[in-house]
Amino acid sequence: MSAEERVPLLEVQGLSLAFGGVRCLDGLDLTVGEGEVVSVIGPNGAGKTTLFNVITGVYPPEAGEILFEGKSLLGLDPHQIARRGIARTFQTLRLFLNMTVKENVMAAAYGHTRAGVLRSVLRTPGMRREEREIEQLAEERLAFFGDRLVGYRWRQPAYSLSYANRRRLEIARATAAKPRLLLLDEPAAGMNPVETHEMTELIGRLREEGGYTILVIEHDMHVVEGISDRVVALDHGIKIAEGTFGEVATDPRVVEAYLGTSAATERK
Amino acid sequence: MSLSEGPEQPRIGVDEWVASAEERRARSPLARAQDAIERVPAAVKLVALVVPFAVFPLFVNSQYLMQVGIDTVIFVLLALGLNVAVGWVGLLDLGYVAFFGIGAYLYAAVASEYAGRYWDAAIAIPVIAVAVAVSGFLVGLPSRRLVGDYLAIVTLFFLQLWLVVLINASWSRGPNGISDIYPLQFFGRQVTSLDAYFYVALIAFVVIVSFLYLLNQSRTGRAWRALREDELAAELMTMPVNRLKLMGFAVGAGIAGVAGAIYAPVQGAVFPANFDLVLLITLYAMVVLGGAGSLVGVTVGAVLINGVLEALNDADNASWIFYGVVAIALLALLKPWWQPIAVLVATVVLGFAVHEIAEQVRPSLVGGVTLGDSRLDRLADSWVLLPENVLTGDGVPTGWLGRLAYIGLVAAILGLTLVRSHLWRLVALVPVLYLAACVWANVLVAQPAVARFVLIGAMLVALMAYRPEGLFGKQRVEIV
Amino acid sequence: MDWDKIVQLLVNGMTLGSVYALVALGFSMIYGILKLLNLAHGDVLMVGAFIGWGIISWLGGAQDPSVAVWLLIVLMLLGAMVGCGFLGVAIERFAYRPLRRAPRIAPLISALGVSFFLQNSVLLLFGADYRSYETFDLVDVEVGISWGPLNIWIIRIVVIASAFAMMAGLWLLVTRTKLGKAMRATAFDREAAAMMGIDVDRVIVKTFFIGSALAGAAGILVGLVFGSINHFMGFSYGLKGFTAAVVGGIGSIPGAMFGGLFIGLSEAFSVGYIEDLTRGRLGSAFSDLVVFLILIVFMIVRPQGIFGKPEVKKV
Repeated sequence: MSAEERVPLLEVQGLSLAFGGVRCLDGLDLTVGEGEVVSVIGPNGAGKTTLFNVITGVYPPEAGEILFEGKSLLGLDPHQIARRGIARTFQTLRLFLNMTVKENVMAAAYGHTRAGVLRSVLRTPGMRREEREIEQLAEERLAFFGDRLVGYRWRQPAYSLSYANRRRLEIARATAAKPRLLLLDEPAAGMNPVETHEMTELIGRLREEGGYTILVIEHDMHVVEGISDRVVALDHGIKIAEGTFGEVATDPRVVEAYLGTSAATERK
Repeated sequence: MSLSEGPEQPRIGVDEWVASAEERRARSPLARAQDAIERVPAAVKLVALVVPFAVFPLFVNSQYLMQVGIDTVIFVLLALGLNVAVGWVGLLDLGYVAFFGIGAYLYAAVASEYAGRYWDAAIAIPVIAVAVAVSGFLVGLPSRRLVGDYLAIVTLFFLQLWLVVLINASWSRGPNGISDIYPLQFFGRQVTSLDAYFYVALIAFVVIVSFLYLLNQSRTGRAWRALREDELAAELMTMPVNRLKLMGFAVGAGIAGVAGAIYAPVQGAVFPANFDLVLLITLYAMVVLGGAGSLVGVTVGAVLINGVLEALNDADNASWIFYGVVAIALLALLKPWWQPIAVLVATVVLGFAVHEIAEQVRPSLVGGVTLGDSRLDRLADSWVLLPENVLTGDGVPTGWLGRLAYIGLVAAILGLTLVRSHLWRLVALVPVLYLAACVWANVLVAQPAVARFVLIGAMLVALMAYRPEGLFGKQRVEIV
Repeated sequence: MDWDKIVQLLVNGMTLGSVYALVALGFSMIYGILKLLNLAHGDVLMVGAFIGWGIISWLGGAQDPSVAVWLLIVLMLLGAMVGCGFLGVAIERFAYRPLRRAPRIAPLISALGVSFFLQNSVLLLFGADYRSYETFDLVDVEVGISWGPLNIWIIRIVVIASAFAMMAGLWLLVTRTKLGKAMRATAFDREAAAMMGIDVDRVIVKTFFIGSALAGAAGILVGLVFGSINHFMGFSYGLKGFTAAVVGGIGSIPGAMFGGLFIGLSEAFSVGYIEDLTRGRLGSAFSDLVVFLILIVFMIVRPQGIFGKPEVKKV
């Protein structure tokens, strides 16, 4: 099934946003079909993380529309958008450092659970069942990463984890919110080649086993090549190229954005 | 191609040594004790916490001490409520005592001669709890979009306004307050003895602390902790941050309301002056000392500080506490056992030397009288410098000698923290200790009611700088 | 139109406003450079007022000062500014610096402790009685400007003039000197400033010194205008000074000046007219309510204040 035939899960149309004098998004269009893995690339300052921030409701756009499952996300609070089925990780990790590994993941289950203050305090059977389910969910999500985040690690505070494990934990936490769309912001940043390779496999497994639709911001072209159905290149807030990895990597506009004009002409 | 296929390859993160880290830790005696404590069911821990309170009345004969006990439990309730906003959610609520006041005045509005009503406490207390919680919610509403700093100021203003309203409105009877408040009445039976009030307060404590514990162990507690860690991340992980903050505010306020509803009938009267900034900062000191975020911690903090405040209230006990605390602090902070002893001995010797010299050279420097009245004070009379005419009759320093000595002491203590070399710090500690004893005897012990607040303020600053997690809090790692 | 009354309220408002402006300046400077609300700022003002009282007593008392009155006032101002400057430096060094990397509420709680400590120390050392500057003995009340409806006591002229002089001096400092440039740089981006060779710690110390000195001067002016001081007076000035800083735009110096005058005039006029409306029942207690409402309105409608720029958080 090609990209155009899939049902678009996320549609971004004409998105624009400026901070003071800096225009971060300039009429950006983007579609992500269900089940796709789409990579977003571009030089620093291209607007990639801003795109994620606008989609998840952190910043309101000046203009444009965001449709998720056909419904508009504009004007919604970030937690409402998260509950509709979009979860993300962060370029500069934002874990709940003083909470345990398991608690970090359990916390994200808030949106699809319902026990209120009264039921929690009275420990109704419904609430207890829900707690057990949340715990099981957390254990499952963590088990996705093999043996690294299981067993004794559940009770350790998140700040005791290594860098790579923290990145994995952040992904586990995002999946515990039961999203349909995952936004991964530079998931392989700062990892060594072995860890990077593992992350590539992981993203593939997230799509195959988890059924998630994934939008990834990445700089490491090996990862982009290894995971993407489609690649979108941004520069100065607009889309400058779109297609398979091969197509985009050799597109002269993309080369120019990364390396400058002379490099683009050399390639010709 | 996966690198983890070959059995010989090390698997990252699951290395043998790291995997066995937990086993090794669990073998240490301290860890085994901590694990054992953690395995004890919460209900048992609650009983252990409550038992000392429950048997307290059996050991106490005087009305005064009973009153202190009741006040302590009420302080504990207030500290628990403040802990929700400050310790769990991480909001700086500087208007907290206003909710205490609202609860107390509400009780006066439903059970006093002035109001012409007499509601049964079984109805009044829950209603007041909910009403004050709602008011907490309302106060929190405009503050929703405010960053922590601004929230603090808005809540502080709210407290100020509440006090202004209380003092000026006609229904509150102004600064004279409402003084004909009926005692608590449960199902027609009045609570009249102090012992009975103590147990009522204790039952409220058990209910509230259980409520808070259970709430903390639920998804709400998790969400609060997540929001304290990283508000934006929490919101992006489906948690409705604003609603949670309001909930935290409201729960804390509701608890303060219950405390007020018990406080009013115990005192029999309510005055605006009861709900001032001094109370607010004292509560903060209790929460910080005990450990913000820990139920046991704030309970202990409240007991400790209220105990010390009461003890320091009259000059007889005050000096014992002063010298005792100094000695304990030295023993706790200076490690090889001989160091604190050496410092103490040196200070005593220095003191006698200075006293002797002063007596010979300038007798007016030792001719005065200390206002402290205990045996310890009389002993210290011959050791500290007691200049004549330092104080007026009510203990306020006349002239500038006492004032300059005090300021000098503060400067000396601060300077001491700047000294790098450990040895020189010990050496400098000796004259500073002696100066502290002199200032204590001349200036502080004369006004113990004020001195104790000076010490609490200093303690709060020192705690935040050196041990912000207090006694029972967990050391937190912050993103840098 | 009761011109006499309006002019009187105008003068009152300007006097009050000048004081609030000085307090707001200190708040703004400290917030601008450390993103920290110095809750103890009002108490620094209070200490300044007491230093002034001490100088009066030391120099013979208000009835019969041993130096000329103008010299006395200058000495008081200098003494309070220097004393409070050092006090501010000490507060920064011992209460705030250890908490640079702690979460935002930590230094605020520490500030509570400092405030409590200062208030009770002054209470301990000076007692609870109100102390008086005895301004009416100090300065002949009859002297002043009298021109039509304008009827200003000289002391108010002194207050307004000194406040404006200090603000002008501060403005020059911040915009024309190297220190001022360093302060602005550090306020904008502390790390980058450090990497550009600015000794950030020293700049912060100097900022605290200046801000606290201004508060100390404000304390003297308060004492001169209102006559009596006590250990608790700092609280109200702190709150209103903060409001003035927010209204003007926290971190902005012209904003603080404007905000102070705005709050002072609002307070004077609202109290003046409310007193009439309620026949004297609400009066000065009402001033707190008015200032609070102004604060809330600004926080909701325009949180960056008049002169401030909306803060954008980089995520």
